[in-house]
Amino acid sequence: MASLTAEAAKIGDLTQTRWTEQAWRFVSLADPAVRYACLGTVLLGIVCGLLGSFLVVRRMALLGDALSHAVLPGVALGFLWNLEKDPVAIFIGALVAGLAGSATVSLLTRTTRLKEDTALGMVLASFFGVGLCLMSMFQRLPTGNKSGIETFLFGQAAALGPGDIRVMGSVALVVVLLLVAGYKEFLLVSFDPGFARVLALPTVWFERLLVMLLAFAVVSALQAVGVVLVSAMLIIPAATASLLTDRFHRVLVWSACLGMVSSLSGAFLSFLGTRLPTGPFMVLSASLLFAMALLFSPRQGMVPRWYRQRSQKIRIDHENTLKAIYQVLEAEEFTGETVTVAALAARRRVAPAAAAVEIRSLVSAHYATLSGDRVALTPSGWQRACAIVRNHRLWELYLTHTAQIAADHVHDDAEKIEHVLGEATVRELERRLPRIDTDPHGRPIPSLASAVAGQPASGGASDRPLGYGGRS
Amino acid sequence: MNPEKPPAELGVPPLEIHDLTVAYRNKPVLWGVDLVAPAGQLIGIVGPNGAGKSTLIKACMGLLPCASGWVNAFGKPLSQSLGRVGYVPQRESVDWDFPVSVMDVVLMGRYGKIGLFKRPGAEDRRIARECLEQVQMLPFADRQISNLSGGQQQRVFLARALAQESDLYFMDEPFTGVDAATEAAIIALLQGLRSRGKTILVVHHDLPTARTYFDWLLLLNMRVVAFGPTDQVFTSELLQKTYGGRLTVLSEVAEAVGAKAR
Amino acid sequence: MTLIPEFQAQRVFVEPWTTELGSHGLMALVTFLVGATCGLIGNFLILRRMALVGDAISHSVLPGIAVAFLITGSRGVGAMVLGAVVAAWVTHGLIEVISRHSRLKQDAAIGIAFSTLFALGVVLIAVFADKVDLDQDCVLNGELPMIPLEPAVRWGGWVLGPPPVLRLGVILMASIALVAAFYKELMLSSFDPGLARCLGVRVGMIHHGLMFWLSLTVVASFEAVGAILVIALLILPGATASLLTDRMWPRLVWSTVHAALSAVSGMHLAVALDCSPAGATVVAGAGWFVMAWLFSPTEGMIPRRWRRRSAAIDSRPRSSEFGQNA
Repeated sequence: MASLTAEAAKIGDLTQTRWTEQAWRFVSLADPAVRYACLGTVLLGIVCGLLGSFLVVRRMALLGDALSHAVLPGVALGFLWNLEKDPVAIFIGALVAGLAGSATVSLLTRTTRLKEDTALGMVLASFFGVGLCLMSMFQRLPTGNKSGIETFLFGQAAALGPGDIRVMGSVALVVVLLLVAGYKEFLLVSFDPGFARVLALPTVWFERLLVMLLAFAVVSALQAVGVVLVSAMLIIPAATASLLTDRFHRVLVWSACLGMVSSLSGAFLSFLGTRLPTGPFMVLSASLLFAMALLFSPRQGMVPRWYRQRSQKIRIDHENTLKAIYQVLEAEEFTGETVTVAALAARRRVAPAAAAVEIRSLVSAHYATLSGDRVALTPSGWQRACAIVRNHRLWELYLTHTAQIAADHVHDDAEKIEHVLGEATVRELERRLPRIDTDPHGRPIPSLASAVAGQPASGGASDRPLGYGGRS
Repeated sequence: MNPEKPPAELGVPPLEIHDLTVAYRNKPVLWGVDLVAPAGQLIGIVGPNGAGKSTLIKACMGLLPCASGWVNAFGKPLSQSLGRVGYVPQRESVDWDFPVSVMDVVLMGRYGKIGLFKRPGAEDRRIARECLEQVQMLPFADRQISNLSGGQQQRVFLARALAQESDLYFMDEPFTGVDAATEAAIIALLQGLRSRGKTILVVHHDLPTARTYFDWLLLLNMRVVAFGPTDQVFTSELLQKTYGGRLTVLSEVAEAVGAKAR
Repeated sequence: MTLIPEFQAQRVFVEPWTTELGSHGLMALVTFLVGATCGLIGNFLILRRMALVGDAISHSVLPGIAVAFLITGSRGVGAMVLGAVVAAWVTHGLIEVISRHSRLKQDAAIGIAFSTLFALGVVLIAVFADKVDLDQDCVLNGELPMIPLEPAVRWGGWVLGPPPVLRLGVILMASIALVAAFYKELMLSSFDPGLARCLGVRVGMIHHGLMFWLSLTVVASFEAVGAILVIALLILPGATASLLTDRMWPRLVWSTVHAALSAVSGMHLAVALDCSPAGATVVAGAGWFVMAWLFSPTEGMIPRRWRRRSAAIDSRPRSSEFGQNA
């Protein structure tokens, strides 16, 4: 804790400031430390977002976790180099440790029967343990506490210096250039490594390059996010991106943008207080964006999906009620134009109160009007009712005629299909069936052309005696 | 069926396997496979479960380490002639939720020809569209691959192999889990390829259709039981030898077939 | 001062068992208790391929503990356990919601859920630093060196030891009793949940019970070794045991042996290097794992390589043995 205070004090010499002042200092970018912090977080957001996309689409999210914990001993050894915060030495140390960690995972899964999750967990924890041991040894040293190694655990964007920015900038440049140049190869190696080998691509080298870039990403984000939470900055923006789009190049772009936004806002939030670590705030911002995408993403989101399901259910309810009204009218041989709520309830086999609710819903959708206890269909309601009855009966006819299914087996199927038959399918059915005036149960099929408002299904069908026969 | 057809290169077999042995964890799965495939034929690989059919193909493609033996294609080690070899892996070998479109997947077939670090060009897109057209999947080109049925996924894989423009094809169970229409479409396509002089090896698990689909058959049960033109190999005796006494239904099929052939 | 203290055999090997028994010996006892308890559960986690669920829960109990602190204002054991169990449930629920309602797979769902909760926990601790008697160092390292300083519990003239030791001892005993009582059900539901359900085993109950017990163990161990190293003690003993034997009972025994070995050798390592005792225990445990990896009679790399070489001399059976009667 003491060292975190020290790092915070480095930015401004006041340890207690009002948060509005701090916010202004951040937004105005007047302070060089703030500029470095912003630049650094933007770079790390891009790099982590890009590389994290590979982890998420390849279902290797936990490799990122293992890799990011495994770099800790390397960070500690990087410090050991000359006992101060030398970005290049730390970068090299962490890179070596990260690669050693991923090599150990693959060695473990190849030579033992341990499953990958166990191997990942072991490497994560063991390497981290070694790192903690080394760090606790440094802390005894007279210079140890001042070196700021502790900021590597939970991150301190404010501690970024020009040296860090140079390292992060070159990492970002290398990552972006390699991904642009080798997009096609990285895509194939991730999607279908077997096929990549068959095409004589140097698959193994691309795999290694990817792990190497991943280690780059982890290491360049260490200072600002911290060892413990780097994996979250790899996974969460990429997972959010994969909820928003389903093309890989777009996942990459979205993920980089989301990474940038969440790391910047995390840095901003942690800057408002005095002794706050940056990493957790970045992760929480990223998680917030993820939650928004999970809930509201247009195609995948839970709320739009729920809304679509609900409106579909309302439509089906409307259609069922309309159909029942039509059937009641039909049972009265279209002598009247209105039906009573009680007759409708009997037809729908529901309580009158429930039928009244259904009718109110129809009225509010302008499909029917209610006067007293009698319901009359509006022109649009009549059209809709005819269409749905027609769908139902056409489908029954199709099943008995073409699929040779017995007439008493087709009703339940038609009950479901009637709501989803599209215009084109109905046309197709009409074309295929030789005769479309009566259904297999002998009831007339209403036609759409003659569905005049308020009039019973005409076109002659209802005037003729029921049953098979008539024109072919 | 028509051995007079000119092979791709006179005298050089498209595929030659010599003494191929593959082992999983010290247990042999394939033993001493010797094979010289004739050019321009549609070759079916059949055998019981666990006979090493897919293993044979994967070992040929270099996806599994071989304990011994070598595989040549067009007179050169297969690793050197990969540019002339197409491959259709099993459908389950990839994650169909991956965020790529049908077009992207078919373009992958061109990657070997495009070369490292280069982008697919207009010509590659044209070829990919043609291949999609051949498997009747062009209307789906912009769909994400998770929205496809099993048969459609298989067609996409087939289109990808077509885009490789190879002379020798390996296909691992292309008929598994596809609808009848797709199966018919695939076999028509394979016969079309064959008539253009390509050699195609197909792992197949359905014995009755194997007889009608393929010109040559490889009966495999850890080692080669028989390899030859279908009418010579598809005999009750050889099938019995391949499948052992395990499946009586199959031996009945074989007998019925044998009776018909006689 | 130097990085690595001068090696003195007396200080490293003898004193912890004589003059320093009250502190170092007790620390070794605590890490053994933690390792043995975690090892027992860890074996089942590995069997059920849930090693990383252990990882997730050991991270995500943090906000639960922090909130419990904020509400009660003290280190009450009951509140901490309650907070941690609630946090574990929330993690579990988040993983379910994410993997069920989106196209993301389990791994990404786990990664998102636990890192979010862990970040929340760290933020709570940092923002309310003056109100919470926890710091970020404790999250990582635990407070092993503090345990011997707590006043010991006395009962009728007997000195029983500091409260954390008693708690861990009770949890270990209870774990052994639970595993013995539900051994059959645990095995069956881990190996073949479908069959278990057919035979009337409440698979869901077993799963949730295991999760509950896991969060309890994690909370109790948290104090000793910190959040992240718990995962090491959950996985290392079980993984080592699985290299030594392929039967479950011997595995449970071996994992306890591994816990004891790494507790003692970790303590010596910590004394020798003067470093974090929790970290040293993990390093020692990883060391024992590497030993098993290299030298295990059945699975070890070196015995296997040696066997392969001797087997390669004549491995190919005559061809007549194959094919004809296959």
